[in-house]
Amino acid sequence: MSTKPRNSPRPRLSAMGRQLLGRTAVALLLSTGLIAAWASSSSSSPARTSSAAPVHGGHLVFARIADIETLDPTVAVDNPSIWADEQIYQTLYTVAANGRGTVPWLATGFRVSANKLTWTFTLRSGIEFSNGQPLTSADVKFSIDRARTSKSGLGYIDANIASVSAPSPHTVVIKTVRPWAPLLADLALYVNGIVPNHFGGTSATAFFQHPVATGPFELGTWVHGQSLTLVRNPHYWQPGKPYLDSVEFTVVPNANSRLLTLEGHQAQIVDAPPAPSVASLKSMPGFFAGIFPSTEIVVALPNEHFAPMADVHVREAIAYAINQNAIVKAILLGRGSRANSILPSGVPYYNAANPGIKFNLAKAKSELAASHYPHGFKLTFLSDSDYAEVAEVVQQELAPLGIKVSISTVPSSDLFVEQQQFNYQLSIDNWTMDISDPSEYATYALDGTGGSYSFFTNYNNAHMTSLVEQAATTLNTTQRARLYNELQTFADQQLPQIPLYYAPLIYGASQKVHNFTVTPLGNYPLQNVWLSK
Amino acid sequence: MTKTGYLLRRLAYLVPTVVAITVLVFFMIHLIPGNPASAMLGPRATPTRVAALDRLWGLNRPLLSQYWLFMDRLVHGNLGTSLFLHIPVTTLIAQRIGPTLLLLTGGTVFTILITVPLAAAAATHKGGAIDQLVRIVPLIGLSMPAFWMGIILLLVFAVKVPIFPVAGFGVGVSGHLLSIVLPALTVAFAIAPLTIRSLRTAMLEALTSEYVVTARGKRISEARVVVRHGMRNALPPAVSVLGVNIGWLVGGTVVIEQVFSLPGLGSLMLSSIYNKDFPVVQGVTLVFAGLVVLVNLGTDIFFALLDPRVTFE
Repeated sequence: MSTKPRNSPRPRLSAMGRQLLGRTAVALLLSTGLIAAWASSSSSSPARTSSAAPVHGGHLVFARIADIETLDPTVAVDNPSIWADEQIYQTLYTVAANGRGTVPWLATGFRVSANKLTWTFTLRSGIEFSNGQPLTSADVKFSIDRARTSKSGLGYIDANIASVSAPSPHTVVIKTVRPWAPLLADLALYVNGIVPNHFGGTSATAFFQHPVATGPFELGTWVHGQSLTLVRNPHYWQPGKPYLDSVEFTVVPNANSRLLTLEGHQAQIVDAPPAPSVASLKSMPGFFAGIFPSTEIVVALPNEHFAPMADVHVREAIAYAINQNAIVKAILLGRGSRANSILPSGVPYYNAANPGIKFNLAKAKSELAASHYPHGFKLTFLSDSDYAEVAEVVQQELAPLGIKVSISTVPSSDLFVEQQQFNYQLSIDNWTMDISDPSEYATYALDGTGGSYSFFTNYNNAHMTSLVEQAATTLNTTQRARLYNELQTFADQQLPQIPLYYAPLIYGASQKVHNFTVTPLGNYPLQNVWLSK
Repeated sequence: MTKTGYLLRRLAYLVPTVVAITVLVFFMIHLIPGNPASAMLGPRATPTRVAALDRLWGLNRPLLSQYWLFMDRLVHGNLGTSLFLHIPVTTLIAQRIGPTLLLLTGGTVFTILITVPLAAAAATHKGGAIDQLVRIVPLIGLSMPAFWMGIILLLVFAVKVPIFPVAGFGVGVSGHLLSIVLPALTVAFAIAPLTIRSLRTAMLEALTSEYVVTARGKRISEARVVVRHGMRNALPPAVSVLGVNIGWLVGGTVVIEQVFSLPGLGSLMLSSIYNKDFPVVQGVTLVFAGLVVLVNLGTDIFFALLDPRVTFE
């Protein structure tokens, strides 16, 4: 998803809360130490899949950071809503398990016209909604048209869809504005989740009180602010699935409290456990840490409206001076990896062999010497509390170059606002993908002619923009791979942003949970999960 | 002035107080950088899309026009609709006020249950070991931040000895009551040191006063002297301290509800501020303000009931 994963409305403390916090730092240390008293230095477990026969039944409790905001997929923008809605609604195609593309889902296949503008999809037969009504192409047309005309949410992802038609009950024809390689990835986005045509004759408001869809689960109960319970869809089309009778998403905003719900057996899966506890989960009997590759990339943003940042040698100097591995070790406690490319590691066409910019202080100094600022300059690093430690590391690492960094910290909710208004010189932010195609991020981060101004850095290079456009409109996968490789190499030379590190998705879980997997985009297909007794 | 007249007058004072708060809250939240449309749409928020959402939500109108609309709705009992949850704010508040009120009530009850016996024990054993313990031990609760105390209580009484739930508000009356015990205790551990100290001091003063000497001289039992004459006359200042801290606690529910994952107004306020969900922030702030004013009113009334020398004016 976007900057600051929307699964974290990072709670801000009230004035009283800040007073309490400030009253004793010792208590803070004590509490961290107490929780980390479980810690040992063993490595974390990989995702836990099982070859045993699945057990049917059971109620899974999944403690998450925040409540869902809506059951309407065309409006949802927060991760808790998205990943819950994905248990209810399904799309024509879905994200592959490794995140590197899509696989057929409600559709079985497609063909593309010679001019690359008309895509004809064949729907899977025998699929029913949770009320027993059969899925038809009219439902698909209604749903996608609704998504692409939505004023809120992520419906803009369908901007390249010109029209949707339903010439026969199991055929859907989508025409695009131009040849558009990411179409399948776009259609796999939750916003294009399929609902009954005209909501089955009811109003949208009434429909979303108890939605009807083709997913493995349907709505049970929703206690706002506390929990959302989904129950098994008896009409689900995958034989034998879902294994679970029900899934309850509970709201536990505090990371330590979430871990306690796991240890207290009041939840079987928790998201984002506290970082110090992750290593210990493997040694805790009955639990494990699920660490999954993600599409999260953290980048430093040089604002080219600030003169030194407009100098590519300065950007190169900063990039070579930052020790990415040291940041990963110190701040991510080793979980994560240096970013060797402008693209996130979990997307198609990411080049793992791309060398990227490796820490080299001598090279950094020579780059700065070749710039218009050979003696250094003063620089303000805009950050929030979440990236405060990274900012401090960068401050230390730029000092030998004569770049004097002062850190300016703003609330997390304001960081992006300041970046959008270009009120910064150097800043930091992250990105996570919405779709399993690099075009979305490439357009956002590298196309200076778009509304995002290259991740609000004001970078604008005609060749880069051309590469972005060509890669998105070329359907040939070999050509796309070549174009994205060239894009990644060119980005290393241009450094519109300075890639810092890739961060994984981390979950804590009970060993009674089997087949819990998470795609790099963050989706967790709970129809595959089962609980042992 | 009669008690009823006094009460009505104090309730009438609520109106200008709340109006003043609406002005403060409304305009202050609009000082926060960024707007809800940007917050909702995130980095995909092109200026065109932000503007479209602004128009949809009426945020493109002049501030005074928005405020007038807000006040017009308010006098009709309408606090608007949550921009993010698409639910009327009044409905949201009605759904979420229960845990907060239960937390405040539970915290008050536990504070009283802790304060009265400990303060009485300390006052009647002045200078002794009990008095020293009562004066020192509660300071632990005062000096430790509430979120730390809450985590420790969870560790011990919800995980190691699983009596209480770790998170949530439970189901049914028994579930709700069980889920509120640890949060209410956390509140009480923070407030009780202050009320214990206040009540102890007042009781020491009362127990050395002439009317107590007279009562003892009349051979009234010591227990009756302590409770009827000492405690009764020492309560008013402690009640004031308790009232002030409960008022403070209303805003402090944010921290407690986060630690214990209670779906109350505090957690609703926090998420709404983060999302810049203006209607919800305004509505919850009004409710908090009203609660604080009512708590202060209740404290004054209770004070006057306890002390017949206090007149209603």
